[in-house]
Amino acid sequence: MSVEVSRRKFLQGSVALSVAGASAISATNLFSSEHASNEHQSTDSRIPSTITTKTGTGDAQDIPFLCGICVNKCAGFARVEDGIVTKLNPNPYFPKNRNMLCARGNAGIQTMYDPDRLKYPMVRIGERGDGKYKRVTWDEAYDAILNGTDKFKGLKQILDEEKDNRATIAYCNGEGLSKEGFEVLVGEKLGSPNYVDEISICLETTLGGYVNTIGTYGESDLNNADYLIIAGANRAEAIITPDTMDMFKRSKGRGLKTIVLDPRFTNTAAKADRWYAVNPGTDLAFVLALTYVVLTEDLYDKDFMEKYGVGFEDYKNHVISNKYTPEWAEKITNIPAKEIYKTAREFMAAEHPIYYQGRRSVFSKNDFQLRRAMALFQALSGNLDKKGGIVYGQKLKLPKEEINVPMYAQVESRFDTEGIAIPAQKTGSWIVLRNMVLEGKNPYPLRVMMMRKHNPMSGVPNTKKTEEFLKKMDLNVMIDILPSDTTMFADVILPEASYLERTSPVASYGALEPAIVMRKQAVKPLYETKEPEVIYKELAEKLSKPLWEITKKYDEDVQDDTEGMSEKEIEEYYEENGFNLADAWEKPVYEQNKERIEKAFGEEAWKMLDEKGVYYPNMDKYHKQLNPNEYQYYPEKAKNYTTKKDDLKIVCNFKNLAKKGIDPMPTWKDDYNFVVPDGQFRLITGRHAQFTQSGTTNNAMLRDLIPTNYIWINNQVCEKMGIAFGDKVEVKSNIGKVTIMAYPTNKIAPNQIFMLHGFGGSSEKMELAYGNGANDALLIEDKIEPVYGAAVMHETNVEIRKV
Amino acid sequence: MARYGMALDYKNCINCKACEVACKEENGVELGAEKHRIWVGANNPEGQWPLLDIASAAFLPSQCQHCDDAPCQEVCPTHATYYDENGVVRVDSDKCILCSYCMNACPYDARYVDDRTMTVDKCTFCSDTRLARGETTTACQNTCPTKVRTFGDLDDPESEISELLRTREHFSLKSHLGTNPKLFYLT
Repeated sequence: MSVEVSRRKFLQGSVALSVAGASAISATNLFSSEHASNEHQSTDSRIPSTITTKTGTGDAQDIPFLCGICVNKCAGFARVEDGIVTKLNPNPYFPKNRNMLCARGNAGIQTMYDPDRLKYPMVRIGERGDGKYKRVTWDEAYDAILNGTDKFKGLKQILDEEKDNRATIAYCNGEGLSKEGFEVLVGEKLGSPNYVDEISICLETTLGGYVNTIGTYGESDLNNADYLIIAGANRAEAIITPDTMDMFKRSKGRGLKTIVLDPRFTNTAAKADRWYAVNPGTDLAFVLALTYVVLTEDLYDKDFMEKYGVGFEDYKNHVISNKYTPEWAEKITNIPAKEIYKTAREFMAAEHPIYYQGRRSVFSKNDFQLRRAMALFQALSGNLDKKGGIVYGQKLKLPKEEINVPMYAQVESRFDTEGIAIPAQKTGSWIVLRNMVLEGKNPYPLRVMMMRKHNPMSGVPNTKKTEEFLKKMDLNVMIDILPSDTTMFADVILPEASYLERTSPVASYGALEPAIVMRKQAVKPLYETKEPEVIYKELAEKLSKPLWEITKKYDEDVQDDTEGMSEKEIEEYYEENGFNLADAWEKPVYEQNKERIEKAFGEEAWKMLDEKGVYYPNMDKYHKQLNPNEYQYYPEKAKNYTTKKDDLKIVCNFKNLAKKGIDPMPTWKDDYNFVVPDGQFRLITGRHAQFTQSGTTNNAMLRDLIPTNYIWINNQVCEKMGIAFGDKVEVKSNIGKVTIMAYPTNKIAPNQIFMLHGFGGSSEKMELAYGNGANDALLIEDKIEPVYGAAVMHETNVEIRKV
Repeated sequence: MARYGMALDYKNCINCKACEVACKEENGVELGAEKHRIWVGANNPEGQWPLLDIASAAFLPSQCQHCDDAPCQEVCPTHATYYDENGVVRVDSDKCILCSYCMNACPYDARYVDDRTMTVDKCTFCSDTRLARGETTTACQNTCPTKVRTFGDLDDPESEISELLRTREHFSLKSHLGTNPKLFYLT
């Protein structure tokens, strides 16, 4: 066999894209400054002089860190030379990332040293969105949050006007190890119930569907599986550890037969044995047809379903009587009936088959039912709670931290429930909260947005509405590391230390091979940035007493309780009842970590964690290197393959759902059918292995690899429409339009288009991201699914024309 | 003294480019889409949607092949390109005159111009970074999610790479040219 691999060939492929990309976007002045060169122009001795720094052979420290460039939190060691992080290496002790760091993980250095970072606190002096800010001290910034300026009102005035109704404050937050602290600050301490985060624009229905059906989302034991259906998940490009590593070491005829369903031909499809170009939003029909085959042909694990299935006979009758046959599904899904028969039979004949759970944004309004159907199909194989199947595992428990939560009598409840059967109590629905406020359906004024590490201008469908929502607020506060599109609507900006500049609260990960991990500070915070927990504490200190005065003024419970008390007694009451907002951060994170770990696992455990960044019981005995690339984390007998045993419960007929107006068993409905009117295209969106949504589009290293986003259009359609590679195309939906360059390809259907999510930044302060490519949130209509009100990403049709 | 080579379990490759970034960060390679010491070739699948030939869509990680008979070394007029004591093809930046003969001679397109040092640069197997510190893996091997690469001493029969080459079928790129590459693609 011979294979031709040349740089030139490579240049004709992906790098040609970047050349075209560069010329097309240079009009927006992207290459005018520091980013264009290979040098940093800072005089700060803590900033490297060049963008990449060759590692040295002299003194260096290796500091354990946890990557924060996406949600995986892989462990690594930061190589620090002369106070500069020169390289990030994988940490071989963590069973989750198994001694690897992806392209983004390696490029994390560039996020820390990004010249566009938020460097000091700022207060708005212009109009929202115009980018005019004044540099202030930290105390001045906290003061502006409390007292406002001539441009915006402060919390004190707003809460006074709202008579201490803390629900006038809403907050949003991005995923990460310091997320919980922000929830404590705004949710528990300030008393806001109106919380939205990434969950309602991400995998809410996946988690809900699985947990409500088999009792867990679980872990796929891909190292030991022998048959895999992976549908609507793209592990080669949307990396999840350890799934990505385990999956592709055994694909391509090496033990793990892989069936991929995706409307697009992805890098995951390239590793498949078979790829089915399923119509968007129709996976449920595919799973129901697979289920029909195994039920009618008696291929399922009868003992297992008899023992653990709840309402199994109902489900069996339901699927059979509805005639969810492969022939029926073929018309809906675009997958030939004979392929569905074959896949169903192969799956059940395999020893360790897995229908991969996936984790992704909600694509269609039937997603909750899809996940239920997938979980049930997995259960039919009996391959649950065992080696090679979906396992439940067991986490290592960390001691709980007690928070002294104040009770506010004046606070009202959250209201974002319109059109939702089961509103999530904690995290709500981004779209419903925003839209109800815009439509005036909120029962009380919502006036404050406290935000951290979250970019709804890019992440939540319908950017115009998000902008309108942010403009409606009296006060917007943002804690972040980069001046994102959303940051530009903040009144007060608090710059956070990036993940390499801070020690984070310890976390417990994994269930099959569990471990405790800790992120340690590799270098002190750059510029005037601060660790998030320090910001929470200082802000809480600033707000605590003045807001307590407002509570005393309006809160009848507090008034009753404190009636007749002396000053000193009132002070004690304030402390005892959690009204001292800062008491949750009495100790620095590192010391808190030490205390918690020593309490739970002992001093030796802490030493190990402190040195290696990872700890689990018996790590010193269990952990060993098997070869230059692979490690053993747990011996076979110590892995948590089987933990549930007779506690398993498979909820086939979920009768309580019917009371909420939700199908108690997965049911296909005509309005789930994939329909695209003539002349239109279905817009689908997704990810790439070299960036994390809008969070990395300003990363100089990753920008080299993925310079912009393109619109994928079927090559034969392009021929008819006279569209060539790099041509500018206008894409228009019911809610907006964007201009983006074309990528004609045979990897997508004639009636669909695809673009990467996260591009098209509107913040001029992010030089590489600004105006680069197109923001899909300007196009995606703000539709929700009916169970949790999660955003539905793949139900928007668009028109395109060459411009 | 060693004779370094690398085996690539290329079917594991998912074209994630972790290797390329790790290489750039470790070795201080300059930015720019064409400035890479290693890369992944990606073939577009053949056919028309939805009948695409999956096998044609292969990912092929590549870099300098560290040939035992390297055409780039042979044509270099100033002896800037040389073999170090471990058989690694290296470039002496002081001697390089940017004549680009090596770039034309290399059948693998493994060389590019570093605009800062004005040298025709290439993969060094991390000789002056990781190996110089006594580490035993290259940056690309160490970081790879699916563990495509195994680097090691071909002269050491006990090494993992020797074991792999003894037990697995493998091929070299453009073997008909007689360059005797020290990169081996495992099948």
